[in-house]
This record gives sequence, C-alpha cells and structure tokens, in this order.
Amino acid sequence: MRLLSCVFFFLLTGFDTIAQQNYAVGNIPPELMVRASAVIRNDELSIEVKDLNDVVIRVKAAVTVLNKNGDREAHIYVWYNKTRQIKFIKAAVYDEFGLLKGKIAEKEFKDESAASNYSLFEDSRVKKFSPAVTTYPYTLEYEYEVRSKQSLILPEWTPNTTTGVSLENAKLTLICKPDFAIRFKEENYAGKVNVTDTEELKTYTWEVHHLKALRDEPYSPSADTYLPVVRIAPVKFAYQAVNGSFTNWLEYGMWMNEKLLLNRDLVPAETAAYIKELVKDIDDPRLKAKKIYEFVQNKTRYVSVQIGIGGYQPITAAEVDRLGYGDCKGLVNYTKGLLKVVGINSYYTIVEAGSDKKSAITDFASMNQFNHAILCIPFPKDTTWVDCTSKTLPFGYLGDFTDDRIALACTETGGKLIRTPAYPSDASSQIRKANFKLDEKGDLNGEMTTTFDGLQYDNRAELINEPYTEQVKKLQQIYTLNNLEIKSFKLEEDKGRIPVTTERMKFYAREYASLSGDRYFITLNALNRGRSLKEVHNRVNKLDISRGYTDIDEITYTLPDNYKMDGLPENFKMEQPFGQYSIDIQEKGNTLVYTRKLHLKEGVYPPEKYEDLVNFYQRVAEMDESRISMVKRIVNQK
Amino acid sequence: MKKLLICLALSLCFIHVYPADFPYGVVSLEDLNMKVYSKDTSANAVVLQEFGNTRISSGDGTPLMFEYHVRIKIFNASGFNQGNIVIPIYKSDNERYEEVSEIKGSTFFIDHDGMMRETKLDPKMVIRENKDKHHNLVKFAMPDLTNGCVIEYVYTLNSPYRFNFRNWYFQDDIPKVYSEYIAHIPGVYNYNTVLVGGRKLTKNNMELERECFTPGGGVKADCSKITYIMADIPAFVEEDYMTAASNFKSAIRYELSDYVDYRGIKHQITKEWKDVDYDLKKDPYFGNQMRKKELFKTQLPALIAGQPDALIQAKNIYSFCQKWFKWNGFNQIYSVDGLKKAVETHSGSIADINLALISVLNEAGLNADAVLLSTRSNGVVNNLFPILTDFNYVVARLTIADKTYMLDATDPFLPFGLLPIKCINDRGRVISMSKPSYWIDLVASQKESKIYNLALELLPDGKIKGNIIEISLGYEAYNKRKAIKKFNSVEEYVENLDESMPKTKIISNKIVGLDSLDAPLSESYVVEINAYDNLNKGQFAFNPFFMDRKIENPFKLMERNYPVDWGAPSDIRISLICNFPEGFEVISKPEPVALALPAKGGRFTSEITIDGSQFIFQQMTLLNKSIYQPEEYPYLKELFNKMVQVQKTDVIFRKKQ
Repeated sequence: MRLLSCVFFFLLTGFDTIAQQNYAVGNIPPELMVRASAVIRNDELSIEVKDLNDVVIRVKAAVTVLNKNGDREAHIYVWYNKTRQIKFIKAAVYDEFGLLKGKIAEKEFKDESAASNYSLFEDSRVKKFSPAVTTYPYTLEYEYEVRSKQSLILPEWTPNTTTGVSLENAKLTLICKPDFAIRFKEENYAGKVNVTDTEELKTYTWEVHHLKALRDEPYSPSADTYLPVVRIAPVKFAYQAVNGSFTNWLEYGMWMNEKLLLNRDLVPAETAAYIKELVKDIDDPRLKAKKIYEFVQNKTRYVSVQIGIGGYQPITAAEVDRLGYGDCKGLVNYTKGLLKVVGINSYYTIVEAGSDKKSAITDFASMNQFNHAILCIPFPKDTTWVDCTSKTLPFGYLGDFTDDRIALACTETGGKLIRTPAYPSDASSQIRKANFKLDEKGDLNGEMTTTFDGLQYDNRAELINEPYTEQVKKLQQIYTLNNLEIKSFKLEEDKGRIPVTTERMKFYAREYASLSGDRYFITLNALNRGRSLKEVHNRVNKLDISRGYTDIDEITYTLPDNYKMDGLPENFKMEQPFGQYSIDIQEKGNTLVYTRKLHLKEGVYPPEKYEDLVNFYQRVAEMDESRISMVKRIVNQK
Repeated sequence: MKKLLICLALSLCFIHVYPADFPYGVVSLEDLNMKVYSKDTSANAVVLQEFGNTRISSGDGTPLMFEYHVRIKIFNASGFNQGNIVIPIYKSDNERYEEVSEIKGSTFFIDHDGMMRETKLDPKMVIRENKDKHHNLVKFAMPDLTNGCVIEYVYTLNSPYRFNFRNWYFQDDIPKVYSEYIAHIPGVYNYNTVLVGGRKLTKNNMELERECFTPGGGVKADCSKITYIMADIPAFVEEDYMTAASNFKSAIRYELSDYVDYRGIKHQITKEWKDVDYDLKKDPYFGNQMRKKELFKTQLPALIAGQPDALIQAKNIYSFCQKWFKWNGFNQIYSVDGLKKAVETHSGSIADINLALISVLNEAGLNADAVLLSTRSNGVVNNLFPILTDFNYVVARLTIADKTYMLDATDPFLPFGLLPIKCINDRGRVISMSKPSYWIDLVASQKESKIYNLALELLPDGKIKGNIIEISLGYEAYNKRKAIKKFNSVEEYVENLDESMPKTKIISNKIVGLDSLDAPLSESYVVEINAYDNLNKGQFAFNPFFMDRKIENPFKLMERNYPVDWGAPSDIRISLICNFPEGFEVISKPEPVALALPAKGGRFTSEITIDGSQFIFQQMTLLNKSIYQPEEYPYLKELFNKMVQVQKTDVIFRKKQ
C-alpha cells in the first residue's frame, strides 16, 4: 500500500486552489496526460450542515475532455426528490485555450425519472446534461447546489473512481456548527485533515492533487482498497422526521431496530397459524427454518419497491403477505417474521452485495456502506444465511453475490458485524465424467455427468426451471462443440446441506473429428477450455484472485479401430502458488482416458505475479487446444 | 366458488356470434390446473384470452378510447415478468396527454388447501411515473404470483391523439390461445389498415353500427365495427442476424387516411405520394429546412473555392459536416428546432445534421436529395401507401454526373458514400425538391472485407518472426477505425493488441489510413512469436488458421424461420508464406478445400502448398449476399461447419531422418 501511495499522489500541502482557474490544456502537467482521456481539473465538494434537517451540498467542478473516450466524464447528473432539492445548476464549456465557448442554463438540462428497469419507484428524479462538443480538447465546468432535509447520509468523497481519468485538484469541505459532532474515516489518503475553528463555524478540509490516470488491470483488488476515500458520518442526525444518534455499529443496529424495523415483522394471524401447521411435525429447528424459507420462495417474488423511509425501511410483513412481493428488505423482514412465529430467532442483516467482496468498515459505522438485505439465522452451532430475493437458491446458500464479507446483523442487542460464509476453491468444484465414442466418419456419440458445488453450484442457474427446448438451446451456447445435438438432458438440484447440481446429458456431434487425407484429428478437450488472459505491462495493482475453483474433466474416448495413434501427447503438469493444472492421458487398446485438472486458488499476490498468471492461463489455453492425430491403419488384404 | 359459477352461467346468456369482451374473473379450474401449454410445452406463460376495443368517443375532445383485457396463465417463475406491467403513455404538455384509468387486476391460484383463491390488485400500488418530458409510465405488479397461477387485468387508455388509432399486436414473446380486437371506426374517419407478419386472421368480420359517433354540433356518423380474431398464435422467437422483430410479428396497424370534420369538410391525412411530396417540401421542419441557405456562410467558400472537381467539393463539405456536428442520439425525419439552432449548438438529430448537409451541398451547386428510410431495428416501411411514421431516418443522396452517393454525416467514422449498416434496410424514398419522390433499394455500397498478408519464418529455436499486414476495407475499415479510436492513442491500441497476445511480441507497427476515411486501413506489424519451446522433438504440429479463426459454427438452429440478414456481403482473404528450417519436412497437411453456396451465394477455399522449405497457405471466404433466405440456410450452415472442420486440421512437420 505504501508503494501505491507514492505512485498516486503528491500531496502539496498549503497549496490553495486559485479562485479563477485557467482551463487552458497547456496548463495540465504532462504526467497527468498519460493514459488519460479526461482530466479532472478541479472538483470541490462542500457540505454545509446548517441544521440537523438542513444540509447544503455544493459542487464546483471542471473536467477537460481530451478525446472522444473522455466524453463519458463530461456528464452532469444530479438527482433530487421531495427531501433533496436542487437550488441551482449551471455549466459552461471552454475550448482548448480556456476561452469560454458557451454557458448552459438549468432549463437546458434534461429532467427525468431516476427509476430504471422495473421498479415501483416514487419520486426520485434526475437532472442531467452532456455537452455536444466535437472539437477536442474541451472543458466542461459546472456548479450546483442541493439542499437536503436530512443529515444522516452525507456524501462519500471519492475524488477519482474511474480508469483513464487523471485529476489535478480535488477538495472536500465540511462546514458545521461547533456543536455538530462528526466522525470521519480516511482511506488511502496520504494527507491530514485541516480543521479550523471559529466561534460560529467549524471547517474540515481534505485535498488531493495530481492523481495520475489509472489503467484497467484485470484481477485487481476492489478499487476502494487503493483509491482515496473520505467518509463522514454525523453523531446526531435527523432523517425524515426520525431523529437519532449512533457512533458505532452496535448503536447503529439499535437505531435500526428501534426506528426502522420495530414491529414491522408482525405476520397476520391467518398466515401465522398456517406456518405453525406447516412445520408442526418437524423437530429440527434448522429444517423448520428451511421449510419456511421454501414457503417464502414459493409465495413471494422480488419486485423493487423504493417506498418508505428513503428506501431504508422495509415494507411491513403484513404488506408482503398480502401482495406476495417485496424488495430485499421487505422479503427479509417477512421471513424473519415468519420464523419468529415458530420461535426461531433471526437477524435482519445488511450487506454490500456484488461480485466485489466489499466489507463493512469495522471501525466506522455509516449508512451508505450497504445495498442489500439478507437474513442470518443463528442456530447454536450453525449460523445459516439466506437470500430471500431468490426463488431458487437452496436454504443456506448465498453464492457469489454476498459471500465472504463483513455484514451488519441487527440483533436484539444491537448491531453486530459478522462475516458471511466463504466458498473455498477446493470446495467449489465442477467434476465431469464423460464417454466419447468416435466412429470412422468422425461422428461422436457422447454421454456425460457433471456435478457442480460450492460457488459453482449455481453454474447452471440460467437453465434451472427453463423448459427443455430452451435448455437445449442454451446448452449449445455453453458447450461449443460443433454440430452438437442434445439427445437427452437432465438437471438435478440437491438442495441439502452441501448443495450440488448434477447435469446428465447424452449427445451426438456430426464430424467431431476432422478427417484430412489418411489422418484423423481430435481436439481432446472440447468441453472445458481455458481462455488466455491479457498481459498488463508495468502492472501497478496487486494480483487479487478473489474466488478460485476446481475443475476436473475425465473423458474416456473410444476410437475407431481402423486408425492408430500417431504418437501420444505427453502428460503435463504445472504448479504455481495460485494454482495447478495437469493433463494425464492413458491409452488402453482403442480407448484413451484424458484427465484434465485445473485448480485456481483464491489469494492476494504481489503485482509481478500477474505475469505468471498470464503465462499459466496461456499454457492452459494451448494445452486445452491440443489435438491428437491418428493415421489410417494399413489393412492387409487377404 | 359458488359465486364464480353463477357468473359463468350468466355470461352464457349473452353469447352471440362475435362475443365482445370476455367476462372478468371467470377463471376455470381447468386453466388453473393446466401444467403445461400443450401447443408449446416450452412456454413459461400463455395468454389464454386477450381482448381489445378501440372507439373514438363522442365525449369532450373526441378522445380515442382503448380498452384492454387480458388473462394470462403463468406456469413457472420464469413467466413472472408477465406480472410486472408497464404501460408507456405519451404526453405533449399539461393539456394534451394520454391517461390510463379503470385499472383492475386479479391473481387466481390454488392455495395450500387446494382451494381456488383470488387476490385483487391494490389500486394504491399502481405507480404513475413521470418518466421524462414526453413520457409517463403506469406501473403495477400483480400480487401473489405462484407457479400455475392465472392473472387477469383490464384498463382503459384515453388518448387525445386520435390520428394514431390504436395498433394491435397479436404476436408476442409468449404464445396466445386467443386474441381479439374490435375497432369501431366512424364513417367520417378513414384509416389505412395493414396486417403485418405472415399469419392469417382466424376471423375477420365487419358490422355497421348506426349513429355511434355523435360528437355534437349535429354530427351523427355510423361506424364500422370491425372484429379481428387470431387463435393459436405461437410465441415469437428471435433468431440471430435478423432485422427488426416488428417486421415479422403479427399485428394490425392503422394510419389515418382522411376524416370529415363537423362542418363536413374532408381532411386528407394519408395521401398519395404526390401529396406527401408537396407537404414535405413545404413542411417548416423538413422542406423549408432543406432549402435553408447560408448555414455556413463563412465556411462554405473555403470548402469549394478553386476546386473544379465536384466530387472533391462534395467530399470537403461532407467531412466538414461530420466534424461540425455531434449527433444527439435522436432518430427523426424532421428537424427539431431548425437547422440554424443545430448549427449554432453543433448538435442535432439525424434530420438536423443530414438536412443541413443536403442544404450545404445544394448551395454549393451540387445536386443532393433527401432519402427517407427506416433503420433495421425500426422495421421495414409500408410499400402500398405512404406512412410517414414508418420512417425514422433521413440521409443525403448526391448525384454527380451519372453517379450517386449515399451520405450520412452523423457518424464521424463513415467514409464518403457509405451508409451505416443500420440504414441498409429494404427501401428508401427519395424526396427531391424538384422531382416527384421515388423508391430506391438500400444496398450496401461496399463490402465488409479484409486481407491478411503474412510473411513468417519459423526459426530452429522455435520462434516465429515476420510481418503481418492486415488491410481492412469498407465496413471492416469502419469497424476497425472505431475500435482503434476507443483508445486514447495508436500507441495504446498497439500496446493493448500486444498485451492481448501473450506469446506474441509486437516489435514495430505502422498504421496507415486511420484518419483518411475513404482509404483502406492498413496495419502492419513486425512480430516475434514464442511458438515452440524448441524444435528438438522429432515432430510438431502447426495450425495455419490462426487469423480469423472460427472455433464454432454461429448457426446452431436446425432450421430458420426468418432470413439471415447481415446488411453487407463480406470478403476475407488470407495469404501466409512461412519458411521453415531445413532438415524438416511436412508429413501431413490439411487437404485443399473448395466449397460454394448455390447461385453464387458464397465460396470458401483453402489450400496449402509446400515448396522446398517454404509453405504457402491461401484462404478465401466470400459471402456474396447481404441476405440469405431461410431456404438457403442449410447451405450456409454447412459452409460454416466445413470451415470449422478444416480449421481443426494441422500441418505436421517431422525432422528429416
């Protein structure tokens, strides 16, 4: 991390942004032009807390777009709703030499609903604008002021978040009354906050200067582990007629319980009676909970409902019961209510979902660290987790959407940070056994059985519950065997304690082998091919393999009698700290047993290890491509 | 349950030859117990019954009233999206807008006690979203969906836009058992009606309704009540490489032809082309704009001064317009705020930019017309009578001597005379200021073509060194330029290319023609490939098909229902010369292949010849047509199959004994 800090920022303390900036492109330091399609010239975010229910947010920014790719940085996007009003927005465009080309008034901004996809959304709207400039470079300068009636959620300061963009100057200012206490957390921030006090006001300032443009590097750690972020949270706050205070996760959880969750999990009597009846013959509490989870999966569906306290409060269990749908919060709260009916305690848990494993910051409690709700059921020896938005996942299975990260469980005694289960690479396997019979025309009759577990359990999610014809179509995309014709196919899910999906199929592929003269070519591995990775010269980021896997393919080939092997490929094995790969080929008469094993291990490695990973996968891709060639036996005419 | 049976009994009394709307809420146990739709076992949901009714109300403002009623069987969770309903509606301003009212919905299902239950849609849970300036969305989610449930809902849509009589879409992504539409058209209104898609109506009937339209002022008109019924409509399944689904989905579309107002005066709306021509020429946002002069008063002289060659003048003007304007993403045939505004702001719709181009070309004394067309995703235009709303795009057609050039200045990467593939869609209508309009076929003026020239040398240490030259032409050059410009610089592009081939090192590169859009784009690279660890093994295989390689056949369906439409023909040629070390010999090589599609539709040839310690590989893939009909599909599929086959064979070298 120390190394990264040196590369990324040179903090010039004491340097103050000049009020009237000259946007001439010539003024941009040369090192900020490297790999950049846009340069953030200036980005000032100022938060002024005038009162608990009166917060003014001001943004003043300018971005220079160097070429067409940088256009995406020249978007102004400001959202608002009933409790967050836009006071003004204005913008101006400057040319390469920093000369004013035109001003943009608020009425030229597009005004749209902020809802996307299918969402029962109430009132969030957005004003947006992107300039039409065809001569590069140009600079877009903009300024706006937003007035928010709450002080619970203050904006996060992330001066540079995307690749291909460098940054000249950025500044965060928080202005408040001296009695408005805050907590703040700086990450990857090399400087020190500057605090000034007067009798009326207290001012906190953070600044960064000269951040070079980043490259997109595959297998990088999550960006917030190396980019500067400053988070601010109030000690006391007002939020839509709810006042409150918290300074740590424990208190946060208490506040959630009291203000957002209390009594919302009451289930209608009829449903409660039904649930009791449903599980009355089950003794094991875990199996009871499983039954109830499956009831919820069957009864409800996920619909995004952004209603209620700013999208933080679940709709009541009674509502979900009546409607048969809800968002993640509503469904978790409903399931929790149902479990309570039969005396099973569970925790409403919030988490940052997504393939990046983002954990709650353990020593800094704030609202905007989560985007999803799941349910934690603390059985004495066996804490179980469920995602109530899925209609298909097994009880106790989270998958890669919320695995292996710190989440906040709202327990009866307050908030508690708990890590969700991880799926280690050796338990995330795909194991296949196949029999391939080839005839002398090169046609293939095959059958195979594949099991998937751990993180790979879900590999066939797109096929589950699909009609047979649809499954067949998708299988042709999954298995890139030329002329693949599925003869039969069956998918079974074992939703037991260790969930396993089993796929069985029989198939035919015309001209699987290529015939050329008296030769017969077969690609040995047509089912599971590795793909080569892109190199990254002068890589900066660490190599982060956040999830690994284990694949074992064993294919038994029965070959046509009238051909003989023209030399057998050698067995192969390679080993790296992050994984192993091996190919084993055994010949027995006219059969050939091909076994391929690939194991990628999760872990964080120094940046230079990435090159080894590239070479590793390159080798895998080559070996997976390899063919054997056979020649026709010379038949002695009798 | 008892109540339901009574409803059913009552409704029986009213059944006549063409029943109107089916009764609400009368769901049979048979429907609820249905496990799978027998006519399409792959369906996740099926429309059991669907009814629509449109009339022009006699009420205030004579709005168009559309009633919709549907009952859908949902088999499994993949069909649950049928229960999330979004009705998009249009608004002009606070006075003229569409409205949805009388929404009623129910979900029917068998509960855990085996009883049939109904959950009603809560009217409070209907969301009206103000999407943007011209669009509102009415959204609701049906309650209590379970596998096997039946949902039913009705709503009424009121629209002030009675010129746009409500179209009816018979075919959708899920199958339908029965779909019925009734249009009540007052005799004073006359619509052109088109039945789209290949399917036939099961029933079509017309009755007279006396004095059904009485908008006041003593006007009384009879209506034609037209009933359209289609039964057993299969789900529409989209295939790869096809144009707009709307070209193939069964639907009824209307276009107002004329109407008689309360004073008895007839207004012609859809006209003959000669009338359309006249209107377009005079339209303030079309013809008037096209005729605008002096849009680029200061710049134009410099573009044509001292240049006697009309073609060069035209090219200068074209590339000037490409650079001046940025397309704002809107497809339109009319200018939005006029060309003056577009010129000032450097920004405009398709119409703004291309009408400006036409205006400037004509002002320079050249001869340019407008061509109205419909993009591939927008569907094909009606050939029988002019329906202007079918068109969504306008380009320029320039004539110099006896040659014509199609121009679209909205894309900075298009060379002069090449239309983007999205515009290559059936026919376009040429609108000239001086002549009657006429149809032209929209065909690609260039191919998508690529030439690879490789001169390589395999060295005894297992490395391959040499030159790779790639020449891209036509659409391929256009695509390649766009790909290169995605990077901040050519260096970054080459770096990325180098990085994406871990075993290959690009020693030097030369890219010519990146900014000369009319010229071919040529890339040449000096490379070093770490092909083999060493050549000490007695035998090794070399696959010459590493350029433009096809690992799998893109065509997987057994048969096709719709044409394969690529927009442009393609032509890919590869020539590779490789020297290999003395002391090695080729013991096996892919056999020469020559395959052709019927009727000169295409060709694939591949041949390797050995000459001493050199091998020469030549391959050619020609697809001569833009569109292949479903009957040509099996040949096309087999051609690709053979290509994949051939590319799996290797050249095998052996150390000479």
